[in-house]
Amino acid sequence: MLILVVTTGFMVSGARMHVNIASPGFSKLRVAMPMFSGPSELASSLWKLARKDIEISGVFELINPDAYLHQGPLSSIAPGTLKDWNLIGADFVMVGKVDLNDKDVMLKVTLVETSTTNKVVDKTYTCKKEELYKAVHGLMDDFLEESIGLQGIFSTKIVCVADNGRSKQLYICYPDGSGGYHLGGLGRLVLDPAWSPDGSKIAFVSYKRNNPDIYIVDLKAKTTRLVLSFPGLNTTPAFCPDGKSIAFTLSKDGNPEIYMMSLYAGSMSRLTHNWATDTSPCFSPDGKKMVFCSNRGGSPQVYIKDMSKGNVTRLTFKGSYNTEPVFSPRGDWIAFSHLAADGHFHLAIIREDGTDMVVLKGTGKGDESPSFSPDGRLIVFASADGNLYITDITGGTLVRITDGKYIYSEPSWQD
Amino acid sequence: MSKEVFMKRYITGMVIMVSVVAVLFFVGCGKKPVEQVKEVTPPTQEVKPEQEVKPVQVPEAPKVEEKPQIKVPSLEDQIKEFESEDIYFDFDRFNLRPEARKILAVKASFLKAHPGLKVRIEGNCDERGTREYNLALGERRAKAAMDYLVFLGISSERISTISYGEERPIDPRHCEEAWSKNRRDHFVILGK
Repeated sequence: MLILVVTTGFMVSGARMHVNIASPGFSKLRVAMPMFSGPSELASSLWKLARKDIEISGVFELINPDAYLHQGPLSSIAPGTLKDWNLIGADFVMVGKVDLNDKDVMLKVTLVETSTTNKVVDKTYTCKKEELYKAVHGLMDDFLEESIGLQGIFSTKIVCVADNGRSKQLYICYPDGSGGYHLGGLGRLVLDPAWSPDGSKIAFVSYKRNNPDIYIVDLKAKTTRLVLSFPGLNTTPAFCPDGKSIAFTLSKDGNPEIYMMSLYAGSMSRLTHNWATDTSPCFSPDGKKMVFCSNRGGSPQVYIKDMSKGNVTRLTFKGSYNTEPVFSPRGDWIAFSHLAADGHFHLAIIREDGTDMVVLKGTGKGDESPSFSPDGRLIVFASADGNLYITDITGGTLVRITDGKYIYSEPSWQD
Repeated sequence: MSKEVFMKRYITGMVIMVSVVAVLFFVGCGKKPVEQVKEVTPPTQEVKPEQEVKPVQVPEAPKVEEKPQIKVPSLEDQIKEFESEDIYFDFDRFNLRPEARKILAVKASFLKAHPGLKVRIEGNCDERGTREYNLALGERRAKAAMDYLVFLGISSERISTISYGEERPIDPRHCEEAWSKNRRDHFVILGK
């Protein structure tokens, strides 16, 4: 097992504990959450969503309710009982009270840090009955931010491809798989989605015109425009960090190469010049570097290009097949798909100087298409079983987030 | 016997033999004695003016075949045949195998014989490997076949390529037998 040392670099405040979330021997913060009080079906649904988000967080762990000295439903923490929660090893206790009126559901949450008795969260979250997840996402984002100063990620979105056996469509959902919906009208074979940095647009590939062409859909304006339709490939779109240009793969000049184009001026430049296949570009958060996949060395490997100097360096030397590299939004890791010695694909991470390569255990069935969460701690990916999973950069978390209703692939996490 | 007598008998024997051979030779050539030849004429119908000319009821004779029976395929059938044969590739490779070149030569002949037709080459990959890379590999496979057809004399304007990567497998199973079938170029005639 490979151990990893990464510091979060987050500030400590009086109300927050300092946590080195990826140090060797890091164990997750233990949360006790008895069943919420209120109308039982609603309370149960909300509780289950919260449990899932705790799992996904990568830093929290739910203590099995069987171990609780005080069984739910509980709407408050009775005075003097905090020690009982301490006794079972809880770092945090969360109780919730569910109320309902004509149109809204209210979840009143009290979240206490047992060691300090500080109230980390003491707030009511409101949502529509059909959107219970919104209350939970608000709660969990606050929990992450207020308790350990981590950026909330539960209200960000993931776009992926959902295959129903007849067509492949774009599908958008929250990181816990809730609130999912299809984007219709883009064609019957739609692939390779990528979020714009501001989260308002998605670039993707569609065969609507009987060729793999690149389009951009503006989710706010509800418009779609054709951006690239050269003969041959127009694939692997990736936005530059400033959102003004995209990089992509074209084969119009004889073999797959990477190009960049300004979305407003339309001017295009070519970024790779090689007889080999060059594809899958992804920029570093500061835009100064670009990772991509090339088989110029004889097999598909990850390379990095310095955008100002122009030089290209190979990053991966282990394994015969390393593809689909993505830069962490923190710029500290590059994740990619790696064909491991066991013959299956696994996610792997590596530093931008090619050191510290770590292969993540994952599902073991074949994991590909990694995409980082906005804070660079978590990775969403697709498994060969047709579902999306979330893991973290230590490999200590693995949660399935889709339901098996479709075959899901190629996830991209909003910044 | 005496030498004289032997020679006399030898010569006589030879003359007889030669005569026999000569006769047999002439007979063997098919030249029959005149009295044996009979003129065989096809049966005729005597047409009497008063009689109604009845249609000749000739029993259906088997068609005279000069060669064994070959049904000339329609263009539609030829196109189906053209489209039914794919070429295959090794894992992560887009080079043409010798069998592939032979198949492409046959396809080139067909295309030359029908200059109005265009072809689209669809490049495919098996499910192993990752999707984005497989889109590129599928394109290279299609392009490899296109380049060879151009080399064989087909105008590039008649050929288009498209990659489906691993998105359209012909065999959905997860085994080498299926994978080897999916690593293919498929050929579709356009404008048919």
